[in-house]
Amino acid sequence: MVVTESSARRNALADPDVRLMLQVRDDDAAAFEELVVRYQGRLVAVLGHLVGSRDQAEDLTQEVFLRVYRARKRYEAGAKFATWLFTIANNVASNALRCRSRRREITLQPRDSGPMGARPLDEMLQASSGQMPARQLDKAEARDIVRLALGALNERQRMAVLLNKFEGMCYADIAGIMELSPEAVKSLLFRARVSLREVLEPYFQHGERPAVEDGELETR
Amino acid sequence: MSHETDNPDASLEEQLVAYLDGELDTESNRRIEELLAADPRVRATLQGLDRTWELLDELDTTPAAEGLAQTTLEMVAVAAADEVEQVRCEAPRRRRRRLAVAGSGLLAASLAGFLAAALLRPDPNRQLLEDLPVLMNLDEYRQIDDLQFLRALHDERLFSEEDGHER
Repeated sequence: MVVTESSARRNALADPDVRLMLQVRDDDAAAFEELVVRYQGRLVAVLGHLVGSRDQAEDLTQEVFLRVYRARKRYEAGAKFATWLFTIANNVASNALRCRSRRREITLQPRDSGPMGARPLDEMLQASSGQMPARQLDKAEARDIVRLALGALNERQRMAVLLNKFEGMCYADIAGIMELSPEAVKSLLFRARVSLREVLEPYFQHGERPAVEDGELETR
Repeated sequence: MSHETDNPDASLEEQLVAYLDGELDTESNRRIEELLAADPRVRATLQGLDRTWELLDELDTTPAAEGLAQTTLEMVAVAAADEVEQVRCEAPRRRRRRLAVAGSGLLAASLAGFLAAALLRPDPNRQLLEDLPVLMNLDEYRQIDDLQFLRALHDERLFSEEDGHER
C-alpha cells in the first residue's frame, strides 16, 4: 500500500513529539526543553553503549540537541520524531568514533557453540544440576560479559542492536536512520545476534569467560 | 529471503531473528510457525536466540546525570544568543551593502541615460558637417530657383568633383 505524502504527514502529526518539534521550529523554548527531558536518557543510553563511555555519551547527547536546535527551521513533519533524532545521533556517534584515536579493540572470534538450551540470566547465575558448573556467577561480572559481547560487535551492528533492542525500532526505521535497506538491517541484526550468542552462550552455559589479551580473544 | 543462500541454517536463523522481531510477512510467519511446531531443534535455536537477546537487558541503564538537561539548555541558549549576535553584526554590513548596490544602480542608470541621450539627441555640429558641401556653394545655389533645373545641370556634369558637387 502506497502511503501518500499527506497521510505520512498526518501520521507524523499524530506523534506528540513531532508536534513539540514543530513548536521548537517556531522558537518555543518550553517545547525544546520538553524534548530534551524526554529523550536525553535514551540518547545517553544508546550513545553510551555505542561509544563505550558514559561521559562521552553525555557530551554527544548535548551535541545532538544542539544540532536539533540549529536545524529547527528546516524541520518538516515527514516521519516520526525519534527517527529523525536518532539519525542525528547516529551521525554524531559515527563522527565521534571516527575521530577517536585508535583504541584497543576487543575482537571475539566465533567458537563452536555448545548444545542449545540457554536459560534466563537469573537461572544461569545459580548453580543447578550437573549440566552447569557449580560456580556462582556474579551479576556484575555477567553484566561485564554482556557489555564485552556488545562491544565486540562492529559499529553498525551495535547501532542496529541498540535501536532495535532499546528503542524498539522496526527494521524500516533503523534503515532510515542508518541509510541502509531494510534487508541490510535484517542481515545486520541476524549477524549481531549470532555473534552475541557465540560469546554469551559458552559463558552462561559453562562459565567460559572470553579470554582477552592485548585486545584480542585467545583462540583455541 | 536471506542472501545467505549457500548456508540454509544461516538462512533459517535469519528468518528466526526476523520472526522474533516481528518483521516477517504473514506467509513467512506461517511457515516459521509450522516449522517450530514440527521441529524441536528449530524451537531450541529460536530459544537460544531469544534468551541471548534478553541478556542485553542486563546492560547498565543508569539515568543521565542530574543537571544534564540544564547544561544542555544553557548550551543551546548560548548558541541562540550567538545566532542573534551574528544577525545583528550582519545588519550594518547588509545596510552598507544595500547602499552600495543602490549607489551602483544609480550610477549605472545615469550612465545609461547619458548614453541614450547622446545617441538619440541630434548633434547640431553633425548636421552642419553634413550640410557643408551645400554651404560652401550656397551663393551659386541661390542663383537657381528650381531644383529640377539644378538636377539637370548635375546630370550634364557641369560641376566637377573638385567642387564637391558629386554625391
